[in-house]
Amino acid sequence: MSDHASHGSGHISPISLYITIFLALMVGTALTVGAAFVDLGSLNFPVAMLIAVTKAVLVVWYFMHVKWQSHLTKLTLATGLFFLAILLGMMLIDYTSKDFIAMPRPTDAAGQMAAPEPASH
Amino acid sequence: MSSTVAHADHGHAHAHHPAQQHHFDTMAQQKEAAVIGMWLFLLTEILFFGGLFVAYMIYRVWYFDAFAEASRRLSLFWGGLNTAVLIGSSLTMALAVRAAQTNKRKATVNWLILTMILGCVFLGVKVIEYEDKFANHEVPGYNFDFSYHERHAAAEGHAPEASEHRELSLTPEQLQNTTQLYFSLYFTMTGLHALHMIIGVGIMLVITWMAHKGKFDGVYYTPVEMAGLYWHFVDIVWIFLFPLLYLVERHT
Repeated sequence: MSDHASHGSGHISPISLYITIFLALMVGTALTVGAAFVDLGSLNFPVAMLIAVTKAVLVVWYFMHVKWQSHLTKLTLATGLFFLAILLGMMLIDYTSKDFIAMPRPTDAAGQMAAPEPASH
Repeated sequence: MSSTVAHADHGHAHAHHPAQQHHFDTMAQQKEAAVIGMWLFLLTEILFFGGLFVAYMIYRVWYFDAFAEASRRLSLFWGGLNTAVLIGSSLTMALAVRAAQTNKRKATVNWLILTMILGCVFLGVKVIEYEDKFANHEVPGYNFDFSYHERHAAAEGHAPEASEHRELSLTPEQLQNTTQLYFSLYFTMTGLHALHMIIGVGIMLVITWMAHKGKFDGVYYTPVEMAGLYWHFVDIVWIFLFPLLYLVERHT
């Protein structure tokens, strides 16, 4: 293999890098479990997603070698993530803001769950 | 790229790698085409799972209390263990690709086998979890009974867990209906993920056999790398499924 090829998709990472990423992913898993038990108010969900996205980026960038791929490969991936953002973003905006669908509001029923009774059915 | 083509021994009898297809100029170009093709496939997978994530998010926003309550029925121990197992299998997969890159046939085969074993451990844990859901009437359908778990615990003398949590704004009937939605999504999403794991193990069986037969070398190892991309993708899906399904609201 020529030197040129080793700078392309055939980049060989040191084992220590893979071990480091693995440890970072394990720490991230511990962090996300720990954070779930802390009351952060409305921030619990964003924190959980921030940790998950960070872990996913580490896997994509290093384990999946995207860091060393061509711009075309990176652009291909970015295109997919762009459409995923449209799918998630637009659908959520639509469903949470529009009133044309009778939106179920379980909170309208006054709380009766303090002493749970066995459901009869 | 041009420097590769102009390489001194181009045109020599051994200039073309036996794995190089005639419509590619160089092995690097052939590899690039495979990588982009694989990523295009993974994009369809991202949007495939994306549809389920959208459905999950909408129902989570609508019925948050039900999702919080139903999520507590999942075992953090098994879920956390499976996350660690899957991350570990991603490491062994990355090391398998690295062994293939450095032309270590035996190490490639061993890392691939270890990856498959970890994949099977994950699926085994999933069987334990699913079995528990069936036993507790938490599988959507005719026998779904969200209150079964508490009645069963009370009958055995355990304090009902619900009293420890914040007051919910749901009647038992609403809880029965809306938690069923959560478990429908749980089984669909984890089931589809498990299906991908089973397919991944199947792909790896073939790749391992090819590696064992010496089909790869330091220049041509594309199938190992493509199997790796697929496996890491499945790992990423789980990285999102774990907090979304297991950790909806654990702090109250």
